[in-house]
Formats: sequence, structure tokens, C-alpha cells
Amino acid sequence: MNVALFVTCLTDTFFPRVGTAVVHVLRHFGCHVEFPTEQTCCGQPAYNSGFHAEAAVLARRMIEVFEPYETVVSPSASCATMVRHHFPTLLAADPRWHLAAQRLAGRTFEFATFLRDRLAVDLGACLWFDEPVTFHYPCHARDIYGVDGLQSWLAQVPHIDLRVPEHADLCCGFGGVFAVEHAPISTAMVHDKLEGLAATGARLVLCNEGGCTMQIAGAARRRGLPLRFKHIAECLAESLGLLEPEP
Amino acid sequence: MSASDAFRARVAKAVADRRVVQAVHLATWRKVSARQAGFALLRNAEELRDLASQIKQHTLENLPQYLEQFVTQVRRVGGQIHWAKDAAAARAIICDLARGYASHLAVKVKSMTTEEVDLNHALEAIGVRVVETDLGEFIVQIDHDRPSHIVTPIIHKDRRQIAAAMAREIGCEYTEDPTELTKLARRYLRDIFRRCDLGISGVNFGVAETGTICLCTNEGNGRMSTTRPRVHIALMGIEKVIPRMRDLAVFLKLLSRSSTGQPMGSYTTLITGPKRPADPDGPERLHVVLLDNGRADILRGPFAEVLKCIRCGACLNACPVYRNIGGHAYNSVYPGPIGSLVTPLLNADRRHDDLPRASSLCGACYVACPVKINIPDLLVKLRAATRARQPWGKRAALRAWCWAMCSASTYRQGQRLMRTFLPDDGEGWTTRGVGPLGEWTATRDLPRPPSKSFRQLWEEGLADER
Amino acid sequence: MNADAPRADVAQAINVDPAVREALRGLRRQTESVPRRTALPDLAERVRQVGADEDLVRRFEQAATAAGAHVHLVSQTDQNPGRQAGARLPAGGIGPRADAKRCAWIAKVRELLQARGAKTALLATARPDSALNSERRQELVMFLAADGIAEQSTPDDETLFSVDAAITDVSAAIAETGTIVCVSGPGLARGASLIPPVHIAVVAAQQILPDLYDYLEQIGADADLPASHMLISGPSKTADIEGVLVTGMHGPGELHVIVLM
Repeated sequence: MNVALFVTCLTDTFFPRVGTAVVHVLRHFGCHVEFPTEQTCCGQPAYNSGFHAEAAVLARRMIEVFEPYETVVSPSASCATMVRHHFPTLLAADPRWHLAAQRLAGRTFEFATFLRDRLAVDLGACLWFDEPVTFHYPCHARDIYGVDGLQSWLAQVPHIDLRVPEHADLCCGFGGVFAVEHAPISTAMVHDKLEGLAATGARLVLCNEGGCTMQIAGAARRRGLPLRFKHIAECLAESLGLLEPEP
Repeated sequence: MSASDAFRARVAKAVADRRVVQAVHLATWRKVSARQAGFALLRNAEELRDLASQIKQHTLENLPQYLEQFVTQVRRVGGQIHWAKDAAAARAIICDLARGYASHLAVKVKSMTTEEVDLNHALEAIGVRVVETDLGEFIVQIDHDRPSHIVTPIIHKDRRQIAAAMAREIGCEYTEDPTELTKLARRYLRDIFRRCDLGISGVNFGVAETGTICLCTNEGNGRMSTTRPRVHIALMGIEKVIPRMRDLAVFLKLLSRSSTGQPMGSYTTLITGPKRPADPDGPERLHVVLLDNGRADILRGPFAEVLKCIRCGACLNACPVYRNIGGHAYNSVYPGPIGSLVTPLLNADRRHDDLPRASSLCGACYVACPVKINIPDLLVKLRAATRARQPWGKRAALRAWCWAMCSASTYRQGQRLMRTFLPDDGEGWTTRGVGPLGEWTATRDLPRPPSKSFRQLWEEGLADER
Repeated sequence: MNADAPRADVAQAINVDPAVREALRGLRRQTESVPRRTALPDLAERVRQVGADEDLVRRFEQAATAAGAHVHLVSQTDQNPGRQAGARLPAGGIGPRADAKRCAWIAKVRELLQARGAKTALLATARPDSALNSERRQELVMFLAADGIAEQSTPDDETLFSVDAAITDVSAAIAETGTIVCVSGPGLARGASLIPPVHIAVVAAQQILPDLYDYLEQIGADADLPASHMLISGPSKTADIEGVLVTGMHGPGELHVIVLM
């Protein structure tokens, strides 16, 4: 299967290892991976802030960049949701672009659900952890997978010491521009999140969203909490021996 | 001080008040659990939410016809109808009625709509004493405070503050025991109930089919206030009408469950007209005052969905922003997620521009809403509608950023600039900065971009399959 | 499209204030452009949580107890209330008619009132066919008198605010939510089930409807509704003070439901 990687601007810039892991895992399961080098950003921050004309420009650009590819996969559920749910609405005024947006929406997938649904991968069977694990559920994944879904993938991992945090689906307070525009509220929210994660006793946090990782990891480090964060792609790549484990 | 600065000041004060933050955390988490437990007992909760959403949507699309039917039925059973196009009209109509009936002592059932039109002050100004009868609202009133939640108004107060207010204002003995405080309030308010001559309530639902108004309380003050006095005035937002009595079943099955987790509140009262001649008690006169106050405008526009709201408070309980800043920071009759929409929509004066932006769009409110109002989507729409009024710095930054995203080369240039200019604490993190970066680094570290971006790794070898 | 949407200009038929009619016309004009795409959904089976085939008494008992009421299941025929231990008989004896009738619910009422040290009780009946009909009522009054409890039947203010307990029947009950329904009507004070601190409601098992939907569907079809339907699910409660649950805020702090099987 040919897959085009939509790596996302945050992952490209701040978490390139996640992109690498996605590539290795997709290849492991038989995909030919391409990376359209013209890609930049899906425009989610502009869209969420109400700058829809600008977001539409980026949406049209992205549709063109990914036009030649039959399947698009992204490590970010929020960016995948932007394409799947918001591109068609954003471009609804022009029938031609609306149709193109719907077509891209129909062939764009989030990484973990793509493995599970399109490649029939048993995620639980492919993962291995040798320490207690907890997780953060990113709220913008809600249109793609639920917190119960995420928890069940992990629960099926053999010998896992899974520490389910209280309020696993509590928002971390990132919210894009919100994290900076309303920093005091964002900070109060991430402190609630940290309390829940720290209380589990686990030091490894599964976190599938770049923005959330920046927020939670950044706040954890400032408070001296010894938490480490990994994307499910990294965990899969490490468990399958495709990537050297990071300490 | 600008409205925005004022909002930020309120937020700063709120998050610094550890006692209130803790109280609101405790109360909202408890209600979230209770709501989940209550919903788990329904065999088809999601279907009921769908039905509730559809009934409300249908009603809003046909609002004039259902209001006409409602009005006709209320008249048929002997009630009076009035129309208040705005808050001033509502106050004038109700004050005129109070004057006409020579009212002296009015008892009030908790009603957000009456607070929206600021009714109490107007009545007091014409010599009518107004006493709130919901325990929480009563305490707010005697303590000269403001409610901080649309269902449980005093979640920000602790028993010490309540005890002090009661002892001071009604001269009772000082006690911090909730049971004793409740008894003292009951005794005091019983005396008021015996002497009152006017009862004022809102309306939870107005049934068009029969001209019935439905009031839901747990305390019984709804019944007391609409049974004891000889006149009952009900202020009803025009969006509160529902088509048929059987539609009420859907909403009643969701309302208390969403608010407090209970399958039903203690008292659901269906009032159809004033007392009949042979009834031993009940008001001789019933006046329903229909309130527009901006609702018709909202109905015609892209935010009509907010009018589906049944004022259950579930979105407040679910919201992590509300949990941390409390109700007073919103500076509005309607706080929380629904308040972030309704407040700027009902008040076109730009004082509340910050409210729709003070959200991470996490969607917890949408999941909790019994009538499925898509609050996150509406927040984004409202941000778009008020885009020209967003802070110029934010506008400039976002537009610059979008421009940079328009080509792969400016994008890469941007990445290089970040790698160069984000300060390094020596361990690959940025811990200090100015401007927006400073907002972040005030409370959080920021991971620095690694020396090679993903696309660089791709170009330098990852592209080759092995 | 919408078969259920009501007829236009119905307001003309009945005496509605011209200002209101004008406002409604204005609203019509303002909302002409609102698209109508949503039909009023069919409800019936989609809303019911409890079916008629279930054990309605048990469901009612569970739900009412969960709401804070005390439910007492009592058989229609049972012990002679006069033979209760410690009961005092009136000076002239009970009489042959009372002897022949076996009435466990009266015994339960007496037991509840005695346990609370009640000295006065208000009786409020709704239906000629209810358990509290005039024949039984005489009997109850008699036994109460024997217990030293004065019965009041005029629901004036003095009575309502001073009486120790109210005993009423109900017009319906709902299993799903553990709800009893009292209505206003000739001789039926709304205050009876609201003002006294203890409310004892006598429900016949046959009165228990499965679901709230059944009840509302029924009354929706009624062209002549009473001024007030009071759906009561448990005692009066509040949790406004630090979330601590307290009963008896404005309404009765105790609700007892006697279900006659």
C-alpha cells in the first residue's frame, strides 16, 4: 500500500523522532511511504482562532500538495480531524474545493487507527513496556478514537502495568493559541493534568499529540516531575525493534 | 482598564484563591461522577440526547407557531400573557403588575432569566421586598454576593461564610452545621411564605399543547412560591416552549440527570392556569411574561443552536476552564461554556469578547450537553465572527505565521529561525522568553526543536527504504 | 413536512392581547428565513425506560427509595389493626363493622404517626375510588382518635403550617422514577403534600404506571387539566451548603409511600 505521510508542523519541528517512528512502523507493515516535501501546516491554529480566510488558503494548499496520493496518514489525531471534519466546512462556499476537500477527508487517517483498521494490526500484541505506563487522552482525538478505545489498546498489551489516571480525558490546557493567549488558565489546567498523571506512580506517559506533549512535558519539567512522554508510534517502533529505545 | 484587562484580572484573582478553586473542583467533579452514574442507568442515553436535540431543533425552526399555540392555551385556561421585547420591557411589565396588585412582599424561585433582566432591583425600587427562596440564592441575596453557577449558586462559599451571613443578616444563632443552617433558613422563609403576596418564577419548559408551565426544584420553593401568593408571574424566555406534553418526558429524563445525576428532582410541577374556583389554594392570577431580549435575533443567525439550552449546568461541571476560574470570572449571569456563547450573543457591547476565546475547545461540554449543542464549533464560529476585534498582536502574528506556511521554503526558514533564536538552557529546553514566548515560559519549559527536523532526516536517508 | 406543526394564526381565535399578537406577527416575519429541516420525532418506545411487563411495584420501590422516600409495601387484607400490641381501643369499643374489615395500611399509618410522636394529622383525599375513601376514612379517623391524634380536614393556613403530618392519596404513581403525583382540585390543597413536615401517601399498586412517558402521554390528551400536577420524587432536599445533602428544605423532610398490594 502507498501511504503519504502528513507529518504535521509540530511533529516535524519538535518531535521528528515520532515521524521517524511512523515511517519505520508503516514500512514494517508493508507500506511504501512517501513524504510530500511541499507540505507545511493544515492551518488548525488559524481555524480555531477564527481566521478562516487564512485557514482556507492553507487548506487549499494542502489539498493540492496531497492530491497525487491515494492514502494520507498523520501521527496527530487533531490534524487528521482538521482535514477530515473542518476542511470540507471551511471550503463549503466553492463546490469544486468542497468536493476536493471531501475527497481528501475520505482518504486521510490518523496513524494508530489506520494500523488497526486498514492494516489489521493488533496494536496490543505489538507493544511492550518494561515499566509502568500511564497515558494522556488528547481531547481533539474525540472524532477519531475515544478514551475507552485508547485504554483498551493498552490494556491488551501483554504484561503491561497500566496505570489509568483519574480523569484520563481531562484536557491538558494546550488548545493551540489558547496556551499563550490565556496562559494562566492554561497553566491551571495543566497542573490538574499533572496531578492526575503523577498520582499513578508511572513515569512513562503515552501521549499521541505534539501540542499536548509540549504542554504537559513542559509543565512537568518546570515542576521537577520525572515524567517521560512517548507517542504510540515511538512505542511501537521500539517494541518491534525498529528504533533504538530512548532512555 | 479595558474589558480584556478586566477579564484577565478576574481570572488572576480567581486562580489565586485556592479555597474557591478547591471548592469548585470538588463540587464539579462530584457532579461529573453523579451525571455519569445517572446516565449509566438509562438504557439508551445517546438516543434520548438525539431526541432532545431534535425536538428543540424542530421547535426553534417553528417557534412562532408553537408560541402562538402556547399563548392560546394559556389564555384558554385563564392565564394572562405579556410580551417583553427586552430587559427594560420585562422589568416594566412586571413592576406594573406588582403595582397594580399592590404587592409588598414577593418570593422568587431561582430563575436565570429574572437575573438576566435584573428584575429584583427594579421591584425593590418600587417598594416591593423581594426574597429569594432557593437556599443558595437566598444566601447569595443576604450576603450581597453573586451566584457563581447556574444550578448551584454558592459552590464558591464555605459553611463558615454561610454561617456568618445567616447570623448577621437574619439574626439567628451562629452554626456551621448544614442541617442546622437549613432548618434556620426554612423557618425564616416559612414566615415569608405565610405573608407573601406575589410569587415570581422562571419557566423550565412551556408546553404549547396545553399551555402548561413546568417548574423543577428539589427544595419545594418552586411549589411554595407558586402556591402561597395570590399572584404568580412567570418570566419565560421564548426558547423555552416545547410542542407536546409527551415531549416533556424526554427533557425531564435528561434534566436532573445532567444537573445532579438524579433521575428526577424532588418536585416537578406542571402548572396549567391559575387556581380553579373550587381549589382551596393556589394563585388567583397567573401571568406569563414571554421574553425576547435578543433571542429572536439569535434565532435568525448562525448561533441559533444555543437556544436549545435547558439550563442544566452540565457543561459548567464538565469544563476544565470553569473548574479553575469559577463562575465570577465570567462576570455574567450565564457563566461556563454556554455562557461563553450566550453572554456575547445577548450583549452586543463587546465587553465579553474574551469569553469565547478563553477555551481550549476540548469538547467536554459537548459530550455532557443533553441537547447536543456543539459548543466547540460555535465557539470557533463566534471567534470568526468577531475576528476584527481580536487583539491586533494576535491578528498580526497569526497572519504572519499563515503567510510563512504558504511555501515550503518560508516554512523551513521559520524552522531555522526558531532553532536559532529560542534560548537554550543547556539541556535542550527553553526556559525564558519575551512576548508570547514569555507567556509560555512564565510557568512551563518549552522543548527546543532538535537540530534536525523530520524533513531533514527524511532527505538525509530516511527516504531510502531498506 | 411537519404534520405536527400547529396551525397558523390560532391566536386570532382566542382573546389574546393585541400587543402580544403583534409581537408574534413580528416574530413570524423575523424568522421567515429560518430553514425548516427538522421533523418532530416519534417518541413512544424510544423514550420508555420501564415496560408494562416489569414488576412495577419493585421498580417503584427501588426508585422511590433511591430518591429518599420510605416505601412500605402492605397487603390489602391482613391483620386487624385493633390487635396491634399496645393499641388503645376507644371507650365504646371498635364496633362490628371495623372488626370485619382487615386493614393493614391503617395500621401502617398509625405506626408511622406514633413513631414520630405526631399529635395532629391532615387528611386530604382526591378520588372517590381511592383507599382513603369515605368509609376507610371514618375508620382511620377513629383509630387515630384512639391513638390521641387529632384529625384536621380543613386545609387552611393554620392547619397546614401547624399539623404534624399529612396523609393523602395520589392521582398516579410512576415506577421508573419512584414518583407519586398529587393534583389540585376541589378540597385538595396543594399545600397538603408540601407544607407539613411529614407526608404519608397511600398508593394502590394498580395506580403505578410504568414510565414517566406513560403519565405525560396520558395527561397530554386531557382537555381539562387541573391547575397543578405535582410530581413528587422523594422528600424536599438541598445540597447547596458545601454539597452536603439535607432533607426538608421547604417541603416535607420525610415522605412515606404506602403501597397497597
